Amino acid sequence: MDSLPEAAALEATRRRSFHALDWLNFFTANLQTAFGPFISVYLTQQRWTQGDIGFALSVGYAATMISQVPAGALVDSMARKTRAAGAAIIAVIFGALLLALFPVMLPVLLAEISHAFASCMLTPAIAAISLALAGTASGAAGERLGRNARFASIGNGTAAGIMAVIGSLAGPRAVFLLGAGLAVPGLFALRWITPAPQSPLASPTGARERIRNLLADKRLLCFAACCAAFQLANAAMLPLAAASATEKIGNEATLVIGACIVGPQIIVALLSPAVGRAAEKFGRRPILVAGMLALPVRGLALAFNPSATLLIPIQLLDGISGATFGVLVPLIASDITAGTGRFNLCMGVLGLAMGAAAACSTWAAGALADSSSHTAFLALAAAGTLAVALAALMPETARQKKRPGALALPVATDA
Amino acid sequence: MLPRHGLMIRKLAALLLAAAPAFAADPPAAQPPPAPTTRIAASGIIGRKVLGPDNIEIGRVVDILVDAGSNPRAAVIDFGGFLGVGSRKIAVNWSDLTFPPTGCDTDIKLDLTADQIRAAPAYTDQTKPAAVVEPPPLKTIQPPAPAGH
Repeated sequence: MDSLPEAAALEATRRRSFHALDWLNFFTANLQTAFGPFISVYLTQQRWTQGDIGFALSVGYAATMISQVPAGALVDSMARKTRAAGAAIIAVIFGALLLALFPVMLPVLLAEISHAFASCMLTPAIAAISLALAGTASGAAGERLGRNARFASIGNGTAAGIMAVIGSLAGPRAVFLLGAGLAVPGLFALRWITPAPQSPLASPTGARERIRNLLADKRLLCFAACCAAFQLANAAMLPLAAASATEKIGNEATLVIGACIVGPQIIVALLSPAVGRAAEKFGRRPILVAGMLALPVRGLALAFNPSATLLIPIQLLDGISGATFGVLVPLIASDITAGTGRFNLCMGVLGLAMGAAAACSTWAAGALADSSSHTAFLALAAAGTLAVALAALMPETARQKKRPGALALPVATDA
Repeated sequence: MLPRHGLMIRKLAALLLAAAPAFAADPPAAQPPPAPTTRIAASGIIGRKVLGPDNIEIGRVVDILVDAGSNPRAAVIDFGGFLGVGSRKIAVNWSDLTFPPTGCDTDIKLDLTADQIRAAPAYTDQTKPAAVVEPPPLKTIQPPAPAGH
């Protein structure tokens, strides 16, 4: 009799959690913007030498690589993922404040390390909260992850714009204070989320699958290779293209580069929900292949690009692969680990593969670009072709549809 | 939990900072007296802003290149970019820089415009001789071109 109002109340809670999750994605995305290449601009202005800046950034990079898998395992072991996300946000705010207030070696190293570990926790934790809220309804996971990517990219693009203005008006230190300040509403958004009682990711028995079994999963290995090839092609493209814009048009390139950073975020915001729906409708693999195709096209266009202003439309292609990846990485990870309780560890493994490949990309493409940026872009396009090939080789991970008459998709047996 | 941790770390950092001068101010008795010091009107230049002839910002000084005769030959300037993306490090001739007479808050002047240095080869490898931007010759007297060459 009173089951109807009860159901309505439950639905209201779920809705509130859904909107809070949108804002959580929006407010945590900016933290990544401030901690990017901007740190080296900031430390230069704090009279740091190039050697010291390089050292601090390497420590941060190494900490990220080391943290990926353990941070994922830690989030898996925590019963409340909202708590994991909250701790991570606080740690990132702490890192940003340390950078702003104490720009000397020891605090900066601490900030780098705390940011590294925290962001390795935050990304999978938010995805895990989202998937648990979305539940097991058909198509709900893709829909929700599409929304996540949309709000994260709006947050990212907005933050990049605001930070550029604040940085030039009030100096680089203000950028980190702003980054810390903008993360605080993320904590409030988190409080408004009522976690789902039972996550489809969690193991029904409570026992987590053995890590060895996860690492031996062919789908995971193939997807990790695809992710690595993606970053191998993608990571160096924007920095190289931006440097070539500076070479061509000098100070005016600043605006072009800004548009190259914000533009793709708009594309991601527009495309992500459609990507999520399409991945549920047509399966993961065709969408993955389509998204990866943007990479070699972009590499070739950059290799033969004659002008700096054409860079903006070419960079918009980044939004296509960005939207695909933003949605499909957590979605495929959830396919692979459904019911095993190892989702966050799986995200960590994928993060490690992407991080290592990104480092290789910047290093190798940078070395090639010293003699010819044309060659460097061709090499990146080749890596993008590899990503397309690996995506085509991926076994489909979408679970078999329960609807009668639906196309049966091949599914790996959970032996 | 974490903020308290942060406080501890900050205290630790403050302690370390406080300890450093205390060490320096406490020389062992048997040491020879320290070398005398003089005060000079000079300032550091790393991280300082560099302006072109049109007073438009070129970038910031990130390094100084010195030759085997210990003469400064070039300053490396981080030029252009957006939030740190797309900047290029370019070495400019030391003698093209003009330093303001006082203070480290004033900007350094460069005789070259952004347009003149933008396409210079980037300074990337410390182990190789650096390509340094030279000012264009103000007035070159062209020797008469030999006919039929």
